[in-house]
Amino acid sequence: MLAFEMERPASLKEAFEILSRSGPDTAVKAGGTDLLVWMKKNLVHPELIVDLSLIEELKGISFDPSGGLVIGALATVNEVAEHPQVGKFYPALMDAALSHSDFVMRNKATVVGNLCSAVPSGDMIAPCCVYEGVMHLVGPAGRRKVPVMEFITGPRKNVLQKGEIVKSVELPLPKGHSAGCYLKLGRRNALDLAQVGVACVITDGPGEREYRLSFGAVTPRPVRAKVAEDLLRGVVSPDESLLDKVAEAAMACVDPITDVRASREYRISMVGELTKKALRKCLERF
Amino acid sequence: MPKQPINVVLNGKPVTLEVEPRTTLLRALREFGVTSVKRGCEEGECGTCTVLLDGKLQKSCMVLAVEAEGRKVVTSEGLLGPDGELHPVQKAFVEEGAIQCGFCTPGMVLAAVDLLNRHPDPTDEQIKEGLSGNLCRCTGYVSIIRAVHKAAAMLKERR
Ligand SMILES: Cc1cc2nc3c(=O)[nH]c(=O)nc-3n(C[C@H](O)[C@H](O)[C@H](O)COP(=O)(O)OP(=O)(O)OC[C@H]3O[C@@H](n4cnc5c(N)ncnc54)[C@H](O)[C@@H]3O)c2cc1C
Ligand code: FES
Ligand code: FES
Repeated sequence: MLAFEMERPASLKEAFEILSRSGPDTAVKAGGTDLLVWMKKNLVHPELIVDLSLIEELKGISFDPSGGLVIGALATVNEVAEHPQVGKFYPALMDAALSHSDFVMRNKATVVGNLCSAVPSGDMIAPCCVYEGVMHLVGPAGRRKVPVMEFITGPRKNVLQKGEIVKSVELPLPKGHSAGCYLKLGRRNALDLAQVGVACVITDGPGEREYRLSFGAVTPRPVRAKVAEDLLRGVVSPDESLLDKVAEAAMACVDPITDVRASREYRISMVGELTKKALRKCLERF
Repeated sequence: MPKQPINVVLNGKPVTLEVEPRTTLLRALREFGVTSVKRGCEEGECGTCTVLLDGKLQKSCMVLAVEAEGRKVVTSEGLLGPDGELHPVQKAFVEEGAIQCGFCTPGMVLAAVDLLNRHPDPTDEQIKEGLSGNLCRCTGYVSIIRAVHKAAAMLKERR
C-alpha cells in the first residue's frame, strides 16, 4: 500500500474544515473495507485519508414510526442486522445484511459505505431501493437529500461533490402491513459477492396491494422493475401465469455484464427465477 | 512517512506501537512480536489475522493501526489463564484434533470465544455462521465444530 497521510476529525465541523483545505486526492473512510482493498490493489492512491470513524454525529441507528429508520454513516452491517426494528419492519434489509460478507467483516463494513462505493453487486443497494431510501448529504454548500436510486449514477459513481459526505440513509416505514425479502445468488454461503440479488417488498398500504422489486449485481445503476410492479399491483395472490409474465418483465429491465463469476445470459435467466422465488417467499411471510 | 506512536492495551498490558498511517493493525502487531496474528490474504477474506478490538471481532488487516489508538486488543495469547493455562476453547481445539497446520487456529479460537459469549449453547448453524469469516484449509471444519461444542460444555461446567 502506498503511503498517505491521515486525519481523524472528532466532529463534522472539523471534518469539513479539513476537507475544505484538502487537495483533489483525498478520500474519506468509514469502515475502510473497500478503501483498503482498493488501495492495496492500486486502484486508488489517495494522498490524504479523512477517517470519519470518530465522529459521534455519524454513529447509531434510530427508528421513529412517522419518519422511519435512520442509519448513520458509521452504523455497521452487524449493527443494522441486530437492530430489533430492522428484523420487524425491514426484513429485506435484514436478509441482505446477513448475506453481506461474513460475521467478522460485518463488524467493520458500514451500510452507508456500501451505498457510497456504488459497486453494482453491493448488497445494500437493492433493499435500500425497495424501501425507497433517501441519502442525507452534508457539505460546504449545506444539506441536501437524494434518493438512493439517484445517488448512485453508475458503477462506482455517485453524486457526491468535493467535500460533501453522507450523514445517513433514511428508509421510510412501509405504510400498512408489509413483508419483504432479499435473495442472493452466490457460489458459496459466506464471503461471496452476489451474481444476482433480488429485493422484494409487498405492502398493503392505504390503498391496494403494492409490490416493489429491485436487483443487485445485474444493472450498472439501481433500477426498480416498474413494469413488473404494475402487473402485480392490486393482485392479492398472483397465479403462476402472472408470475411468469412478471419474471419476463423483470428480465427485461436488467443489463448485466459477463465476468468471472457468471455470464450475462445466466444472470438474466436467474433474475427471472429469483424474482418468482422472492415473490413467493414474501407472500409466505406476509 | 514518519512513524507515530500509538497506545493500545494489548492483552491487558498498555503498550506503545510505532506505526505509519498506512500500517495495518495486523502488521503493527506482528512487528511488535505478536506472531499468533497471522498474515494470510491481507484482503479480509481468510480471517487468520482476527483479533478482538474493544471486545468485537475484527480482521486486523482491515484495521489501520492508528484506529486502535486508546483501545483494547486481545489476541490468542490473551486468552491464557493467570498461570498460563489454556482457555477452554484452546483446550477443546487441542483435544478434538481441530488443529492441523495451525495457521487458522489463533483466529478461529478467537472467533469461537466470541461466538460462545453470544451463544453459550450454540447449534451447528450458529457455529457455522459465527466462524464464517475464518477459513481452514486442513481440517474440513468437522473437528472444529466438535471442539466448539466441547468448549461450550466445558465453559458451562466452569460457571
Ligand atoms: C472480504 C470482503 C468481503 C466482502 N463481501 C461483501 C459482500 O458480500 N457484499 C457486499 O455488498 N460488499 C462486500 N464487500 C465490500 C465492502 O465490505 C462493502 O462495500 C462495505 O459495506 C463498505 O463499507 P465501508 O464502511 O467499509 O466503506 P469504506 O471502505 O470506508 O468506503 C467505501 C467508499 O465509500 C466512501 N464513503 C464511505 N462512507 C462515506 C460517507 N459517509 N460519505 C461519503 N463517502 C463515503 C469512501 O470514500 C469509499 O470511496 C466485501 C469486502 C471485503 C474486503
Ligand atoms: S489476513 Fe486478514 S483476513 Fe486474511
Ligand atoms: S489447521 Fe491448517 S488451516 Fe486450519
